[in-house]
Amino acid sequence: MPSLLHYRAWHGEFHDPAWAPLPIARVALAMMFRRKLFWTFYGFSLLTFLMFFFGLFLLSWAEAQASDESLPIGGGRIKAGVLMDQLRNGLKLNGTGETYRNYFWFQGSIVIVVLAMAGALVVGNDFRFGSLPFYLSKPLAPWHYVLGKCLAIAAFINLMTTLPALVLFVQYRCLYPWGGWEYEAAILGGILGYGLVLTVVLSILLMATASWLRTTVPLIMAWTTLFFFLRQLTNTLVDGLGYDPRWRLFDLWNNTYLVGNYLLGLSVPRQPQPYEAALVLGATCLLCLTYLNRRIRAVEVVQ
Amino acid sequence: MKRQGDQETWRLGDQETDSVSRSPSLLVSLSFLIWLSVRRQARARQMVWIALGLLAVTTTVVALNTARGRWSMEHWRQPRGVGASFGTLLEVFSFDRQRAATLTPLPTGITDAVLGAWRAALEHSGFLVFAAFVVYSIFLSFLLPLWSLSFATEALGSERESRSLLWLLSRPLPRPAIYLAKYVALLPWAIGLNVGGFAVLCLAAGSPGLMALRLFWPAVVGATFCFCALFHLMAALFRRAAVIAIVYSFFLETILGNMPGYLKRVSIGFYTRCIMFDAAETIGVSPPEKAEVYWPVDAATAWMVLILGTVVLLGLGMFVFSRVEYRDES
Amino acid sequence: MPDLLEPADPRGGSRAVSEAVIAAPPLLPRPRPELQPPLPALLTFERVTKWYGPVIGVNQVTLELRPGITGLVGGNGAGKSTLMRLATGHMRPDIGSVAVCGRDAWSADAKRHVGYCPDLDAFYEEMSGRQFVEAMARLNGYPRVEARRRTEETLSLVGMADRAERRIRGYSKGMRQRVKLAQALIHDPEVLVLDEPLSGIDPIGRHESVTLFRRLAERGKCLLISSHELEELEKLTDHIAIMARGRIAAVGSVAQIRALLDDHPHAVRVDSDRPRELAGLLLRLPDVLGVEITSDATLIVRARNPRSFFAEFTRVVLEEDIRVDRLETLDASTHAVLGYLLGGVS
Repeated sequence: MPSLLHYRAWHGEFHDPAWAPLPIARVALAMMFRRKLFWTFYGFSLLTFLMFFFGLFLLSWAEAQASDESLPIGGGRIKAGVLMDQLRNGLKLNGTGETYRNYFWFQGSIVIVVLAMAGALVVGNDFRFGSLPFYLSKPLAPWHYVLGKCLAIAAFINLMTTLPALVLFVQYRCLYPWGGWEYEAAILGGILGYGLVLTVVLSILLMATASWLRTTVPLIMAWTTLFFFLRQLTNTLVDGLGYDPRWRLFDLWNNTYLVGNYLLGLSVPRQPQPYEAALVLGATCLLCLTYLNRRIRAVEVVQ
Repeated sequence: MKRQGDQETWRLGDQETDSVSRSPSLLVSLSFLIWLSVRRQARARQMVWIALGLLAVTTTVVALNTARGRWSMEHWRQPRGVGASFGTLLEVFSFDRQRAATLTPLPTGITDAVLGAWRAALEHSGFLVFAAFVVYSIFLSFLLPLWSLSFATEALGSERESRSLLWLLSRPLPRPAIYLAKYVALLPWAIGLNVGGFAVLCLAAGSPGLMALRLFWPAVVGATFCFCALFHLMAALFRRAAVIAIVYSFFLETILGNMPGYLKRVSIGFYTRCIMFDAAETIGVSPPEKAEVYWPVDAATAWMVLILGTVVLLGLGMFVFSRVEYRDES
Repeated sequence: MPDLLEPADPRGGSRAVSEAVIAAPPLLPRPRPELQPPLPALLTFERVTKWYGPVIGVNQVTLELRPGITGLVGGNGAGKSTLMRLATGHMRPDIGSVAVCGRDAWSADAKRHVGYCPDLDAFYEEMSGRQFVEAMARLNGYPRVEARRRTEETLSLVGMADRAERRIRGYSKGMRQRVKLAQALIHDPEVLVLDEPLSGIDPIGRHESVTLFRRLAERGKCLLISSHELEELEKLTDHIAIMARGRIAAVGSVAQIRALLDDHPHAVRVDSDRPRELAGLLLRLPDVLGVEITSDATLIVRARNPRSFFAEFTRVVLEEDIRVDRLETLDASTHAVLGYLLGGVS
């Protein structure tokens, strides 16, 4: 009997399941870039980057134009070079750790907003509409799935934060003299480290919260609570009611900021120690991973 | 269709059996719609549970702080965050004054007056601290909009999401009336959670909280009406109204609310704060923001804007709802 | 007035033939026309067009529905549901107008005269069937006592009176259909728009529903019933409208449409390895009006009486062992009608 469907046997070789996270990540990333609403936030993100990029460029250009002239400021005169130095340091566009810290802070806020909205899309829907068994019915371990999704979130975070920060790093080094290998390596390491902290914490946290809450609105509310409400509450406790600054350890966003500052070689006054912040972040990640482990095992049982 | 052959039992179309009292009435429809909507709003969903969870957390923190008697500026430090606390400084100066009094009696009166005023200011600063750090900072900028939107976007949003809006739109009800009835039905819940939640927070704070409750509850009610009208409009306009409402609340309200100049005047929170500032000034408490930067408006203007805003948003919502085809939802 | 319609002319050239008027269906006991004026139209579509962005949902439809049952068939995306939503005031036409008992279908007033049983399977799931139907009665404006009376009567009519206490969440598809039907009947409307009302109902339930629809029609109600299956509607009424690509492709009884189709020349494209030989063979067939060879492998055949033409065509290609790579009806409306009449779906 002739075959009507013309199926033919597959003669290729299957990849090892270890490769599975890649297509999972690719699909998840494509979903994040397909949503029109998110492009508004990508627009804001681009705006922040351009502000830093042209800020650095403009100061360098103005410095070159003004040369050694003295400029009238208030009642007196000030040398253009001195004025530019003051502006550069005042605006933190001086290529030090502060520049990249500020950049990570602004971009990180936008990343949090997008992740809060994308959580249901990338992870929650798999649990909500039962597509997780679809993934797990393939010859994959549950952790391949988790890794694939985390990889997508990580790629997104780094595309939004670390990569542009590296561009700013290169730009500054093209405009101004280098500060020595050791100094530059420390800054570079700080940028990569801050990016890594954000990547690990946010991707694991998103996986856990999205697999728990699943739908967009509760997920946004949960993330708003974690990153906005807790910040307000700890500010009230420390600044308003005079409690110990360690209460700020409840503010996860502040914790990533403290660890990032430490990695960039900066210290923040009236804040908990960076190691304390790192411990809290580590404990949070551990908690989330434990939950994820249980959650995915539960899916297997259902299967 | 067991009795379809029985002519006697099928009287739906028999005009003779329809008396005036049996004829349909728009008032009955609308009253029932409001009642039905109030009941359906009661089905707590994740959003409302999260809102209640936030209330519980905040109330616990406030209650613990009250138990420790820390509603005053006594614990503020000078220089900020690192220096000695105001309470400690007062003790130090009081001790110095006792030593000085043994040497020269002349400045004692002035010193006593200054220290007395200082002590009184610290003792009565509870309201200021509570208002600035709990009411303005947490309640007004986070809890109030969040609680409002968790009910206001659900009124139409849940009908749209579950596609049951069809049943309302199939009935002989004018569309603007459906919209208005839904708004009326969400108000008891929204006001209950906002004013009730605010009252719980205030009661947990003790005497400063009671004063805040007495002064600020009208502003909370006004803001609830206006926020609900806005979020209700969003639900009529957008399929994912809750997402839009959250983005609005925490970005536009926060960003615009902190913008210099007149830009902040498009935010509902600004007018609510202005009403609260005016109310606080009646007992001599100045707003935390500097007037020359914040440019507040007086309470009468703020009330007018909130009321007009509510009316305009409702009118706009009724217009939109009466025109839009809900294709996917019905 | 049965009518087989031509495809739409994109330039609007064939406006006249795109309109159809559905007269009183034969289910009603018809008085002689000279003795009594025709029954008034209860549901009218006046040159209605509806767009979904760049896609046209309903294209220049003019219909008049009088008391009786009208069946509406068409494939997925043919425009049936759009037409029904326009009739029930859930959508507004971009061009033209829809009226129920002389009132704009979008208005609240019109909804007093129309009952809608949607294809959608969404309820207030937490309610029981009885509570749901009563809630719909209350939303229609009936006081509590009257709403209860009507609820019991309609639940009895649809055979749900003894099962209506359970929550809708636990209902079978058939029970949900019955509850939907009950809510549509609750205010005793003149016009009933029923979207796939028989789907999911068991054979006994179907028989009961069909009997109920007939009785409603006998009482002077105007029923517009949609279905994917022509056979199902044929049992209910012989007044059928076939929709295709947003247009009414044909209106009338199945027999009338078949007869019209037989007389209506239609174009068929045939791709073959021996087009010239095939053209010669086809020209000998009695139903073939002409053959045009458009390329090395393609023929356009104009033929009447499609059923006998396709039977003869099959015989010829098998006997002569001619390979046919493609066989396609070029006329969209005819294609749709053929799809139904020959047993398939367009």
